[in-house]
Amino acid sequence: MRRVYLAAMLGSCLAASALTPVRAGDMTFERALKADNEPQNWLLHHGDYAGHRFSQLTTINTDTVKNLKLVFSVALGGYESGGRYKFGNLEGTPIVEDGIIYVTDGWGSVYAIDATSGHKGVIKWKMDPGTDRAWAGDVACCGVNNRGVALWKDKVISVTLDGRLIATNKATGEVVWERKVADPALGETITMAPLVVRDLAILGAAGGEFGIRGYIDATDLNTGKQVWRTFTIPGTGEPGNDTWKDGKNRWRHGGGSVWETATYDPATDTIFQGTGNAGPDWDAQYRPGDNKWAASVLALDPKDGKIKWGYQYTPNDPYDFDEISEHPLVDAKVNGVERKLVVHAARNGFFYALDRLNGSFVLGRQYVDELNWTKGLDPKTGLPVSYDPDSDVQAYVVGSHSFRGSAPSRTCPSHFGGKNWEPTAYNPQLGLLYIPSIEGCNSLETVEQKDFVDQGGPIKPRERFSGGGQKTTTRLYGSLKAIDPATGEIKAKLRLDYPNYSGALATAGNLVFLGHADGEFAAYDAKTLKQVWSFNVGTGINAPAVTFAINGKQYVAVLAGSRQSPFVVGLAPELKNTATASMLFVFGL
Amino acid sequence: MGRSARRANCRAVGAGVAICIVTLAAPSVHAQTTLSPDEARTIEYGKEIFKTKATCQFCHKWDASGDQGYGGNALSLRKTTLTPAQMAEVIKCGRPGTGMPYHDRFAYTDKRCYDMTRAELGNNMPPAGNEFLQPREIDAVVKYLFAKAVGRGQSTYQECVDFWGTDTRECEPMKNTK
Repeated sequence: MRRVYLAAMLGSCLAASALTPVRAGDMTFERALKADNEPQNWLLHHGDYAGHRFSQLTTINTDTVKNLKLVFSVALGGYESGGRYKFGNLEGTPIVEDGIIYVTDGWGSVYAIDATSGHKGVIKWKMDPGTDRAWAGDVACCGVNNRGVALWKDKVISVTLDGRLIATNKATGEVVWERKVADPALGETITMAPLVVRDLAILGAAGGEFGIRGYIDATDLNTGKQVWRTFTIPGTGEPGNDTWKDGKNRWRHGGGSVWETATYDPATDTIFQGTGNAGPDWDAQYRPGDNKWAASVLALDPKDGKIKWGYQYTPNDPYDFDEISEHPLVDAKVNGVERKLVVHAARNGFFYALDRLNGSFVLGRQYVDELNWTKGLDPKTGLPVSYDPDSDVQAYVVGSHSFRGSAPSRTCPSHFGGKNWEPTAYNPQLGLLYIPSIEGCNSLETVEQKDFVDQGGPIKPRERFSGGGQKTTTRLYGSLKAIDPATGEIKAKLRLDYPNYSGALATAGNLVFLGHADGEFAAYDAKTLKQVWSFNVGTGINAPAVTFAINGKQYVAVLAGSRQSPFVVGLAPELKNTATASMLFVFGL
Repeated sequence: MGRSARRANCRAVGAGVAICIVTLAAPSVHAQTTLSPDEARTIEYGKEIFKTKATCQFCHKWDASGDQGYGGNALSLRKTTLTPAQMAEVIKCGRPGTGMPYHDRFAYTDKRCYDMTRAELGNNMPPAGNEFLQPREIDAVVKYLFAKAVGRGQSTYQECVDFWGTDTRECEPMKNTK
């Protein structure tokens, strides 16, 4: 009832003011394009449109970091149970503007925290969107997650797990409008932070484990209405649909979910969006063909959503190698030639560099410690060497995934990755990309997938559509690696005790910040990756840090509070008794 | 359950792999009977553990009909042939060689589970559950499952509402089922 009322209110409000005027202090496209000019703020999800997560601030540096200490913390909410989950997680990247920190909890509440005093954080307002927790939480594959907000003009743009995009008054916390983008009735949820380009909010739906057909969707923030929607899985007659060779229109439930924020190149007006696994996850025999554009990157025109080009990393993916994570833009000299690259540390264990103008493969190199599913990448095309162009169902390296009825696989990297969603950071001054990742192997057991009801089978919407299950009986670990994106060469590496799900921050102070499952928040020397500082916050960290300045003083902030998955905790007994929390921690010198 | 009964159900083969074969029919315990306040409270307590504390539903689904995906290929407890005592043992000890976790903090530290220790199980050691459970909690989960799931057919709208409540759209898709 509440939503009906809101929608009615919205209609009249929007009709009255089709275009929101820009006021002093508003977040504009021009500011977003020049986010580097405001190092005191952290204005965009990935720090800048290029996806570098790099700050020019240098007060906290390799010399001074030893004096870094906790300045204040703020307790948040959002750990309520719902659906299949006991509590919500914190995976968000804070957005900071003029001393106000905007964060979200897993259920989509937005908090505006006034830190302008520099010594404490006061929650100025909290916008609780009233998420239907059972409805959404029952079809969230991997936790109750929300990765943060975007700023636009005088509003905060956020999402909810139950599929809504919400515009909130930045000054007061009042909801101005909301739009239903994703539909949990179809197994769709939203967990990603929106990308705002000009007046459009661009985002997509998660649900690759529930038989969705993924899409990227744009909303006009002036009107709250949809401008375009581009399906990641092409329909009949669209380029790429012929890579679904089952003859039963299984592309209709073909996955290709979208759940992490794209990068944007203003020079060519192009966004680069990674896409998730094909559906069902593991029964590749169900969906013969390459299954475009699952496990891919798509270059799109943000004005109309038209696909300029696509590049698929793992055709006919039988591993659940989502490639939704960020695609940073890097300009680098490759073999003596200046190239405009879009790069990606893939969940499949390889680092890729593509020409961002046309999607052609430039180079690829294994970055995980152990990889057994292909014997490498073709140096010209980047296709997995073990890909068989004459086969519609890929075996890749036999035993690295499970066919129907065959023995469980040994899959390296595990289906978790490689690098999962947690973002890399890029230091352009050193030319190094920092990859936080998951290392180790696990096992996949494929079960023949039954059809959906709309295709004559028994599977109903909202039911799991995985084509099998995973088993993780060997302890996974993690790593932080610094690589040269122009060559893929690993320049420095660090073994971590735990698989990493937090994401990196790089700074001009020659530091890399990273959180860990045991609550350790640490800084590393950007050249050697030697740990130079750490503080244990006492609860797991699954969120990337940001840095900003208030009255000239630099701070580092990170959200903490996340119970690790049983596949991590169950094999790491020392984490067994750790408890979740919901906290923002802010550090300074 | 006594150790001799456990031996009857499980045997060690090969390199410490425990294979548990259960063929006994489960008694029908969900006949229409009037529950005492204590029994009703225990069943409700078991539901909350199944739903939230131990989140059994993550893998087995809210109606215990089994599922696939990140929780592994989890069996249907509606169709199980386990006895209550056997189910209690599986909750306590997990299932070696599978993703079914153990919930007794001290499982495999001695021979309380299938006469085996962690060292003997090696890579077949099941994972630890999200939460460890006391015997009374395990007993409540078993009573809940035998009261509400075991031996029942496809779940109904009313069962869904009983589980999730009415303050959510969760059960709407089932509204036309009885």
